[in-house]
Amino acid sequence: MEDQTPNRLDMDLVRQKLADKRGPAYWRSLEEIAETPEFQGWLDDEFPHRRTLLEIDRRSLLKYMGASLALAGLAGCRGMELEELKVVPYVKQPEEMVPGKPLFYATAWTLGGVGLGLLVESHEGRPTKIEGNPDHPGSLGATTAQTQAAILSLYDPDRSAMVLNDGDGSTWDAFMDAVAAEFSNQKAVHGAGIRILTEVVVSPTLKAQLDGFLKVYPGARWHQYEPFARDNAFDGANLAFGQPVEAVYHLTKAKVIVSLDSDFLQDGLESVVLARQFAEGRRKLTAEDMNRLYVFESQLTCTGATSDHRWSMKPSSVHAVATALLQSVRSQGAVSPPKELSGADFNAVVQDLLAHRGQAVVIVGDQQPPEVHAIGHALNVALGAVGQTVTYHEPRAAHAVHTGRDLKSLVDDMNAGKVDVLVMLGGNPVFDAPVDYNFGEALKRVSRLRIRYGLYEDETTDACAAVDGGHSWHLPATHFLEQWSDTRGYDGTATVAQPLTAPLYDARSPHQLVAALAGDGAPGHDLMSDGYQIIADHWQSSGHISGDFDKGLAEVLHAGIVPNTTLAPRVVALKTFDAAPPSTTGFEVVLRPDPNLHDGRFNNNGWLMELPRPMTQLVWDNAAIISLKDAETLGVQRGDVVQVTVGKQTLAIPAFPQPGHPVGSVLIHTGFGRTKTGSVGMPTQHQSLMGFDLYAKTVGVDSYVLKTSGAAAYVTGATLTKTGQSETLVSTQIHHSMEGRDIVRAGTLAEYLRVPSLNPDKLANPPIVEQGDLDTGVPTETPEQPNIDMYPEEIWTTNLPQWGMTIDLNLCTGCNACITACQAENNIPVVGKTQVMKGREMQWLRIDRYYGGADPDNPSEVLVQPVACVQCEKAPCEPVCPVGATVHSHEGLNQMVYNRCVGTRYCSNNCPYKVRRFNFLDYSNLQFQFTEPATLINKIYKKDGVSLLKMVSNPDVTVRGRGVMEKCSYCVQRINDARIEAKKAGQEIQDGAILTACQQVCPTKTILFGNIADKKSEVFKSRSDERAYRLLEELNTRPRTSHLGKVRNVNPAITAQEGTA
Amino acid sequence: MAQLFKPSANSYAKSSLIFSIAAPVVIGLGIAAMSRSPINTKVDVPKNQPVPFSHQHHAWELGIDCRYCHTSVEKSAYAGLPATEICMSCHSQIWTNSPLLEPIRQSYATGTPIKWTLVNKVPDFVFFNHSIHIARGINCNTCHGAVEQMNITFKGSSFMMSWCLQCHRAPQNYLYPETDVAGHVVTDRTPRQKVFDLYWKIQEDGLDKLNDREMQLATGEDPISTNSTDVAEGRKLVNQYGVKVQQLADCWVCHR
Repeated sequence: MEDQTPNRLDMDLVRQKLADKRGPAYWRSLEEIAETPEFQGWLDDEFPHRRTLLEIDRRSLLKYMGASLALAGLAGCRGMELEELKVVPYVKQPEEMVPGKPLFYATAWTLGGVGLGLLVESHEGRPTKIEGNPDHPGSLGATTAQTQAAILSLYDPDRSAMVLNDGDGSTWDAFMDAVAAEFSNQKAVHGAGIRILTEVVVSPTLKAQLDGFLKVYPGARWHQYEPFARDNAFDGANLAFGQPVEAVYHLTKAKVIVSLDSDFLQDGLESVVLARQFAEGRRKLTAEDMNRLYVFESQLTCTGATSDHRWSMKPSSVHAVATALLQSVRSQGAVSPPKELSGADFNAVVQDLLAHRGQAVVIVGDQQPPEVHAIGHALNVALGAVGQTVTYHEPRAAHAVHTGRDLKSLVDDMNAGKVDVLVMLGGNPVFDAPVDYNFGEALKRVSRLRIRYGLYEDETTDACAAVDGGHSWHLPATHFLEQWSDTRGYDGTATVAQPLTAPLYDARSPHQLVAALAGDGAPGHDLMSDGYQIIADHWQSSGHISGDFDKGLAEVLHAGIVPNTTLAPRVVALKTFDAAPPSTTGFEVVLRPDPNLHDGRFNNNGWLMELPRPMTQLVWDNAAIISLKDAETLGVQRGDVVQVTVGKQTLAIPAFPQPGHPVGSVLIHTGFGRTKTGSVGMPTQHQSLMGFDLYAKTVGVDSYVLKTSGAAAYVTGATLTKTGQSETLVSTQIHHSMEGRDIVRAGTLAEYLRVPSLNPDKLANPPIVEQGDLDTGVPTETPEQPNIDMYPEEIWTTNLPQWGMTIDLNLCTGCNACITACQAENNIPVVGKTQVMKGREMQWLRIDRYYGGADPDNPSEVLVQPVACVQCEKAPCEPVCPVGATVHSHEGLNQMVYNRCVGTRYCSNNCPYKVRRFNFLDYSNLQFQFTEPATLINKIYKKDGVSLLKMVSNPDVTVRGRGVMEKCSYCVQRINDARIEAKKAGQEIQDGAILTACQQVCPTKTILFGNIADKKSEVFKSRSDERAYRLLEELNTRPRTSHLGKVRNVNPAITAQEGTA
Repeated sequence: MAQLFKPSANSYAKSSLIFSIAAPVVIGLGIAAMSRSPINTKVDVPKNQPVPFSHQHHAWELGIDCRYCHTSVEKSAYAGLPATEICMSCHSQIWTNSPLLEPIRQSYATGTPIKWTLVNKVPDFVFFNHSIHIARGINCNTCHGAVEQMNITFKGSSFMMSWCLQCHRAPQNYLYPETDVAGHVVTDRTPRQKVFDLYWKIQEDGLDKLNDREMQLATGEDPISTNSTDVAEGRKLVNQYGVKVQQLADCWVCHR
């Protein structure tokens, strides 16, 4: 077994080595610089922990070989058809359905108070893939990683499947009968004892329904709570404008963008359209056209990595920066620069802002306190941004409140014994409410009826059932793909969301439940009330659909948007407000929703658990992310457990020193450490092939114990101490290192104008100006060496399309949507923490993150680069396969033929990019061990005899078994489909007809795919761009995927790029 | 010293030597022959079905077009099996009390689909697409045998990869121009239409008006032709249809 303790890093050695390097240097991890033995192991061998033949003695070897020989050939028995297979058609086939051809339906998803319009691909009535809706202004065809993974939650076998009454199985009819009496009692007191707790409601229909409920029961109250609702923004808008307005940003018009601790390029569903707008401003690479992003942040985020200038500081310091910026802009010049950055740098930022009045915008992050939000609004007003780059509107939420205070009033009522009936629609307040509210204790005072409606049985369900007295009910909720509903997008555009499948379980939509409860609650009330009718009735009465309603509704459902439903604008007038700086002592603990698991609701989603988080690339764990200096002071390294103590609350969590993280601040993601969730969040303890005996019952650590109501933004006064214990944190950052070769290219705008290819050799050695060019002043680039080629050029003698791809690093934000889309499209399995630790993660696409500069505490730049199989024209993997399982197609694809592969792994050995993934175990079938606590590995959770998790598979892509190599295929199933359709239509394949999965979901349109032999195609133009280069070109592999170098629009006046803490 | 080996050891030695050379050959040939025989390929072996559906009665005697039941053959990878509703479109009016058709009526009444036994199957790692083959004018009988003459459906070809490659490597051997009754080449029909024209021709004009290639298809023989005129015609059609022969044998065209 491999040694579990990570190798100790000598930080002084790391610092010294970095300082010694000359020229632009990119490094992937501290271990790479320190050249620890662990890292050397990764360089020498793609899988350092595997056994080799040298360890086996001769006798055993012959024994094993003999056994394999005896078993070989049995696979050929397929043709014997040992059993009769059945084929089952429909009884009445729906007219629009063609078996084998998917249908796409428009719908929408809501998260965190924002809706996103979607198109969902459905195979024979079974939704398998989520795409963005190109016609929806909030999506423009793209989605986020969480959106992609939401399809897996639909088929989650751990989902709540039946009604529970005090922990026993029951039915909806029994529920209605049982609550009828209670509700009619409440009717007598006008519902004074009824409380409804929901998450932030965006659905217009649900709002109308809840308002209607409150009319029937005037004494009842409706509260909303989400742990990461935009409460600070709400208070900030009230502080600045006296009304809770919603800010909608228009970044296409912005030339200068300042982010005050806002991860707007990755966080939340609005990041899709904001990233797209931002990317539009990065396409034209001239000083006049390119936008510039300044980021002042308290953690390393995607937005910080994409920025042109980044300063990292404690969250409390952002206030000082914001105040100084506001004073400076108002005074038309830099005044009282904050200590977090040098005076010259600050002056440069201010001048840049002032020079771009009306084309600048300031965005403040959610975790900043309301005062900073108010300062941000004031800055936008002072910069003349209002009406240009930011507009103010009515709130998107149906009923805008400060959810923290709303929950507090509910808890107060509960503690006072005023609450007889508590209905909780969604959310998980026992898990994620602020600790000082003590929601679990308050729940015990709800002594009559506790109704919990949710997608999973969770901590809140258990807490309800554990209360003495009264009754508790758990009602299974429908997944968003199973229900009729509606929502509003970023700019307010409404979508009527249609279901893709009937509920898989005995579940109801929230609309059906509220409709049933708002009825008089008499026994026999029809809970099967049509979810469709509720939504249709609302939209008919809303008047937004004019003319023939049925026809209009059909059009709305088809398009996925209701026209003319954008948020109504509001006129705002800036008030004077008092923005006292925050007091701060000790460490500041920032609690943020995990980029994948959000506030914990996706805790049971295997794809999201295993998706490497942006920047840290952690999987299957959360950690206390601290700066390198703090780690040294504490004497901890990656994996060492630290005790984080705030007042009476304490938490033991492994540390993760992160370059670029500010000193004095700790970042802990929430959503882990659940005590009641499915088998992904709480993997089984039994011995399994995937080695779950490695760690305890639950994944990660529950960081909500530190979340108090007073600290809406971040928690101050924390102390960190080393405990001396250690745990294994798995991060994919040191796998697949590229040993410092010319892999990622980036440069400033000035460097790009000088050397457009951003070739580091050329940047270091400027090209010589030829004599003849002295007249024009344009230097001649020395001609490239001609390609010496041993292989004949037969590929180019065909008239077939030649597929190629470009990935523009200038646009990529590292949001991980492409990785999850690829996983969904290509049936890529989840392998678990132990396997990822051995380097066996299965995602075909990875995003490499590089730091630049000589100071590990403050990297001067952070670069991201998506890498997948680059489909080399002269692929090193092809000649070495002993069975010819990987061969080249006439269209330029490197074909991985699964049925031929015997698993020698020579191809992966020979791949210089390390993009091939091997199924060391039967991952695709073993995924099911995530689903149940049974001891038999091959027992598969079934619903009506059909394995549920298998339903998410894309039927157009093979599910690979054990011992088979796989890799990116340029979505060959999509290529083949497009080719066949074009041939049937008698046409050539149009440019843009084929969108690979990664290309389709990317918010910034980083990835372009198409026929590089067609000189008019987008991909040909992109490939001919001066910035385009091929990875490891010098190896003569001739990759079909090109990357385009990143250009940073640095401000020439900023010379001392320092991010201080 | 006594002899260790009896005299019979001589014959044992000789025969074991011959046997050890001959046996692998015989066993190998035996396995090869068996794997190509109907024991393994199930060609010409009729399968039991819940309803004894006769293609000969419906497609030949009644002249129903293949596409009436196999509705998605021109549009999608799967040809499709008829929904119970399609059977009932006639059998709600004729043979309404036949006991043989009881499973169909049951299925329509209860909403439970009929579980037919699978006759034509390629392995799961092969992604075969019907619609493009129809679009190129490959007749149903080329692969499925003389379906319109089958009383109980059986598999028409072995579907071994080598059999598929026979056409994929040399499509000119299989493509033939459509001729009308008088034997003139028809030019105003698409290849897709040519597929189904054959059956109409059989219905309207009878088998004696078919040319040789068409006769092969109608009787279920392999319609390959290697004589030079046919191959030349085939090549013309390959160019005319735009068949990209170079990539037909690329692995990922079928094995993705």
